Amino acid sequence: MIWLTWRQFRAQAVTAAAALAVFAVLLAVTGPHLASLYAASGITGCHGGSCGQLASNFLSQVGTGLYPAVYLLGIAGIVLAPAVIGIFWGAPLIAREFEAGTFRLAWTQSITRTRWLAVKLALTGLAAMAITEALSLIQAWWAAPIGQAARLATDSNFPLGMSPFSLLAFDAHGITPLGYAAFAFTLGVTAGVLIRRTVPAMAITLAIFAAVQVAMPLSIRPHLFPPDHTTAALSSFSSLPTQIRPNGGFAFGVDYLPSQPGAWILSGGAVNAAGQPVSTSPAACRSEAITGSPAWTPCLTSHGIRIAVSYQPTSRYWALQLTETAIYVALALVLASYCFWRLSRRPS
Amino acid sequence: MTAVLETRGLGKRYRRLWALSDCTLSIPAGHVVGLVGPNGAGKTTLLNLAAGLLLPTTGTAEVLGGPPPANPAQLARLGFLAQDAPVYAGLSVADHLRLGADLNPRWDEELARHRIERLDLDLGQKAGKLSGGQRAQLALTLAIAKRPELLLLDEPVASLDPLARREFLQDLMEAVAEQDLSVVLSSHLIADLERVCDYLIVLVGSRVRVAGPVEELLATHHLLSGPRRDPATLPAGQQVISASHTDVQTTLLVRTSDPVLDPAWTVSEVGLEDLVLAYMSQAAGPGRRNHHLGVQK
Repeated sequence: MIWLTWRQFRAQAVTAAAALAVFAVLLAVTGPHLASLYAASGITGCHGGSCGQLASNFLSQVGTGLYPAVYLLGIAGIVLAPAVIGIFWGAPLIAREFEAGTFRLAWTQSITRTRWLAVKLALTGLAAMAITEALSLIQAWWAAPIGQAARLATDSNFPLGMSPFSLLAFDAHGITPLGYAAFAFTLGVTAGVLIRRTVPAMAITLAIFAAVQVAMPLSIRPHLFPPDHTTAALSSFSSLPTQIRPNGGFAFGVDYLPSQPGAWILSGGAVNAAGQPVSTSPAACRSEAITGSPAWTPCLTSHGIRIAVSYQPTSRYWALQLTETAIYVALALVLASYCFWRLSRRPS
Repeated sequence: MTAVLETRGLGKRYRRLWALSDCTLSIPAGHVVGLVGPNGAGKTTLLNLAAGLLLPTTGTAEVLGGPPPANPAQLARLGFLAQDAPVYAGLSVADHLRLGADLNPRWDEELARHRIERLDLDLGQKAGKLSGGQRAQLALTLAIAKRPELLLLDEPVASLDPLARREFLQDLMEAVAEQDLSVVLSSHLIADLERVCDYLIVLVGSRVRVAGPVEELLATHHLLSGPRRDPATLPAGQQVISASHTDVQTTLLVRTSDPVLDPAWTVSEVGLEDLVLAYMSQAAGPGRRNHHLGVQK
């Protein structure tokens, strides 16, 4: 059965290996130069306050031209790989057998269909996980200097470089690609088992996987662990995007926390001395002359206004990665079990 | 007499349509059995149920003395050639032999190689590029080389041209002669069955209309023609299968194990095709069940 699975999977495996090779070559060609720029930047061995500036300099140096393009291309490849695998490996795996009627040939050999499915799922599924994680590891190696610098930088113009928790960076690095690949693949297989036609199964796979991949970072991931809360003085922020509204209204866009570089900011805004959110200036800071001037934030501070932030600290990165991956792997196992149950009941 | 396939009240429903309902039959071992019936009689459903590819909605099926195959040992004893002879279009002939060798412990490599050679199939040829006849031969090779005790063939020649059909059936006969093999072969083409089958089952609307060894069926069915008379006046031992009348003449197909002695009749032999058609049209009478689904899902 291993041979048959491999024989049926061979063409897809060769395509995937070729894609992986192209990806690896592209990053291997551009990676060393990026690393040499990092070595020359002086970040290694920097002390205290100079590190942030050096890191920012490095990031702006590589922040234009080739590197952002390769960086984004790499991230896109990793994020899209599970979807492609679900569509082109998962959905046809069983649907194709139904469409061509070959399940009648396969299931009347001297082998149970449970074993038939087990070998197909295991080999193809593990290949799916391996190739996605390989993409991720290659890209992580390439992007390591950028990640190092992003953790130290005081501000950054580099796309997606701010935090390992950034929307796509979290999806593309660590172990989550393993979970996504396992889930997308079994989702495709399940759609094929249920719909029994390849093309509709592909469409359903893409629709569901895309919906899950949007819902996870936006609605589920922030709540996997209760966030930490802290407050910080306005003066501790070197940059604080500010929106001024009529009649003393204002709002701050908080996207980082100086005391927790790299932390994942879930929400942040101004609070008064009592800890309640405020959106209007105290009367004393409201005059035209003061609002927006350098004297304005000290004025707010003198009236007890601070920034409150809820966030996930960087120390929780691996716990979040593990939890999220476990959720996806569990979903994949549920889907696979359903396929076994469904096929052992025979198609009706 | 042991049965290779025995069903009791077997039924299969797809949503609201019954593809097979309340089918009770027994197929004896050691024969090449023709399962004949009109489209929609439930032949394909019956064979798929017997092969374990479908689960019955009602009733039971016994194959080779046990339930329809579900474990490797049972599966090894059954060869199945599905309708339209499915093979993997992207795999070569050699790949299919490798597949058979890998998945069947009783695989007879020599037999398989020999057959492929004799059929003049190119080992490197992709199965998707084979002609319909060659594809059927390849699928049959897989089914035979696993050395089953029972071979189920679902409409194996329906899609073949007359020449390929003849070659296929001849080839099947040779394989049966070489091996101790029971065969059940479904078809709606009676002429084909006549050539290869020694046992016949006529299935109409899930019901067995007649079953028996071909020789016996031919020996006990007679075509009587004579002056017009009421079929009800025949002797008790003579069962009328079909009757047609003109103004002056009556023609009857009767089944009887006794000789027909009435000198008023001209007795002639009946061909298998006429016999089957008589049973099929008999079923088309008042008792016809028209809610059967013909297609195999």
